[in-house]
Amino acid sequence: MVHWIDRIIGTRPRYRMVSILAVVTLMSGMGACSQESSSPAPAPTASPQAEPVNPSVPAQPVTQQTRDTYQFYCTQCHGLAGKGDGVNARFLTVPPRDHTKADYLETRSDEQLFHAIQLGGLAVGRAPCMPAWGHTLDDDAIRSLVRHIRELCHCQAF
Amino acid sequence: MNAQKQIGRMILICWGLWGHSLWAEPALQTPPAWVEDKGCAACHRFSPNQAAGTAPDLFYAGNKFQKDWLVEYLQRPTVIRKAGHTGDPGFLKGQPEFTGLHPVLKPQDAETLATALMSLKLPDLETIPIDPAPLSKGKQVRIKILFERDYSCIACHESYNLARQPRGGVSGPSLIDAGNRLQAEWVYLWLKQPKTFLKKGRMPVYQFDEETLLNLTRYIASHKKENGNKN
Repeated sequence: MVHWIDRIIGTRPRYRMVSILAVVTLMSGMGACSQESSSPAPAPTASPQAEPVNPSVPAQPVTQQTRDTYQFYCTQCHGLAGKGDGVNARFLTVPPRDHTKADYLETRSDEQLFHAIQLGGLAVGRAPCMPAWGHTLDDDAIRSLVRHIRELCHCQAF
Repeated sequence: MNAQKQIGRMILICWGLWGHSLWAEPALQTPPAWVEDKGCAACHRFSPNQAAGTAPDLFYAGNKFQKDWLVEYLQRPTVIRKAGHTGDPGFLKGQPEFTGLHPVLKPQDAETLATALMSLKLPDLETIPIDPAPLSKGKQVRIKILFERDYSCIACHESYNLARQPRGGVSGPSLIDAGNRLQAEWVYLWLKQPKTFLKKGRMPVYQFDEETLLNLTRYIASHKKENGNKN
């Protein structure tokens, strides 16, 4: 065990310390889907996707088209019923959000949910496993998904 | 004499263009005859106009795959989509209806079929030379962070972790041996404009800048079983 570690990071104390620091830095950078910070992550440095727009989500009924959109894209991770048990779920260290549970979702505003879908988890300080959908779905589609999530959790923002 | 040569060249060019248009279009419209013989069309699409299949589209197989990999795969098929193909009725339930491996072919048949598949190409695709040299170690790490953290690719695609183990989601095809399976140029085009190949896919659409596109392409192309933990 020690032998292969020594081979990787070296045995000289100075190099060893530098190597350990490098590995720790790398591991923290790799935090992808490996842990979700309970406190918000650093500012969305990489906002690789679209700029935020006015996310106000008007109260409208959820249409079948919205349900179909959710089924097509979101269920891969969030599951057919939104319980966070999609086909990818057990391969991710951070479980996908259970959209049927209100305890977390009622602490999020509609705007926060909108931006999480549009810009991805990382951009809103949550798990980076959640990709940005801002170039796949238009703003209306994202707003309607927020309404669908509210329907699934039977909850509104505080 | 020179004028005759010029006319001859013009005729040749026109004939070539006409022949190309005749040859290229049918690949999109009508499946080749051998598709019927082999029964491939039961699962694969050979035209974008067909209904969704339960196995990968093959009408651009010659743009997408590497021939050596095809020959090997047709003789010794492996599982690339652990959750099944997205067109499988049981895909979202995590219970794909088709759970078996691809039919096994004899070496000569595999070679013949791979050659035929490599002839199926979309016309007029952008040609972009991808540097085949591996990324530097520093760049490899930076792009790995982009791949996993910034763009969340790992949520749906299997890649390598730092301990050389496969890691990642299964709704998308595994990228464990993507560098041997896929042509780097196709990876680039797919990342840039997936609708060229698939009108509506389950993967998010990105708008990468050119440098990121090239780096991600080279990063994915470095995913080879023989490279192991270099990824």
